[in-house]
Amino acid sequence: MAMRQTPLTCSGHTRPVVDLAFSGITPYGYFLISACKDGKPMLRQGDTGDWIGTFLGHKGAVWGATLNNEATKAATAAADFTAKVWDAVTGDEVLTLAHKHIVKSVNFTQDSSCLLTGGNDKIIRIYDLNKPEAEPQEITGHTSAIKKALWCKNDTQILSAADDKTVRLWDRNSTEVVKQLSFDMSVSSMEYIPDGEVLVITYGKTIAFYNALSLDMIKTVDAPASIHSASLHPDKEFFVAGGDDFKLYKFDYGTKEELESYKGHFGPVHCVRFSPDGELYASGSEDGTLRLWQTAVGKTYGLWKCVLPEELVSENSDTIYCTPAAPEIKA
Amino acid sequence: MRPHVSVLRLPRGPAPNGRGFDPNSPRFIALCPTTISASTETATDSVQIREEQRARSALRESFLRTLIAMTNKQVQFHMYERVKVEAKFGASDIDVLNFQISELHTPIGVQKEALLRCQDVISYSFDL
Repeated sequence: MAMRQTPLTCSGHTRPVVDLAFSGITPYGYFLISACKDGKPMLRQGDTGDWIGTFLGHKGAVWGATLNNEATKAATAAADFTAKVWDAVTGDEVLTLAHKHIVKSVNFTQDSSCLLTGGNDKIIRIYDLNKPEAEPQEITGHTSAIKKALWCKNDTQILSAADDKTVRLWDRNSTEVVKQLSFDMSVSSMEYIPDGEVLVITYGKTIAFYNALSLDMIKTVDAPASIHSASLHPDKEFFVAGGDDFKLYKFDYGTKEELESYKGHFGPVHCVRFSPDGELYASGSEDGTLRLWQTAVGKTYGLWKCVLPEELVSENSDTIYCTPAAPEIKA
Repeated sequence: MRPHVSVLRLPRGPAPNGRGFDPNSPRFIALCPTTISASTETATDSVQIREEQRARSALRESFLRTLIAMTNKQVQFHMYERVKVEAKFGASDIDVLNFQISELHTPIGVQKEALLRCQDVISYSFDL
């Protein structure tokens, strides 16, 4: 029943891709940043996967990467014990924030004024980017390395997932825990959907959906293999997941039915995210590549072109976003 | 018969040299005004901007000229971890990320040809 999919493969990284993030939709389209163990995070045009630039400066594996909504700033978290903030237009390094251990996660507030970091020193930090020399606000409590820390509820609260098998919700002002979830095993990934306040958590073979405000469970779905990352479509009709068996799975969110599975990667899938317009999803793998997959296979979008049967060829080959006129780069 | 999806082309990969961020892209031109980003105060005075840019150009030019002057000369490099090495300078790459050097004298011997990672260098000196 499933149509075979031709994913678009983005090459360039030389080691496993461990994290990826999309920006919001900007007048120049939307953008994608990838974190890689080769220490060189890359910025790409979101709908085509075209490489725009590489952020050079980290001295170790980059574990986390994020963009602000306007894609004017990027932040990265690395094994060199620093988090860095970058100008995402020029590629210049703007700020280096020294930590005492490997940094795993970075996240901007909606207005890009503050940066949240979390990592192996078990402390969540909030940096005021307008006063970078000032000491960050610290939130302690986790008893193991933090995997992911995200702003939520209009940047008034923080969600964090750590290797201590808990997900905690913190109040930003009081720095106290508001609510906590405990699991039998480590949470492998977390995604926060502000529109609708949904939290997507993966652990073992399970993809779980929670209300981000109350941390009440909405539903759980089990996949055929151990899942490392999942992403909910903006319209909340489906979600995608990937993990140990190298495949990408697409599920119906309402019925929890597995709709499709796609092969393509040559290694475990570490991260998967839907684009802000929901037209595609990107996956990063141990095989060092990013792949872009269509949500509606057969649609003309980005670099995919629908070719109708018979001799009739679709005349609608306009891409939705103008890709910037980059010079022809020889592969 | 189902519609077939074809791919117009593959996503463009990284350029062989340089780190990208094309300054001629529409986004770069629109979002990077002529004000110098490193200035903490937004210099509204256009004369001040011009002066600063002039100074920056002069400094940049003199730096590039030192790279030319250094070619084939013996250079002492002071690096992190209290490392001091000496070598014959060959060339720099376009983004000043690596220096190509020869006859690198290290505590464990002389390396005939080497690439020095610029971010590891604190300072370097040579005789004109």
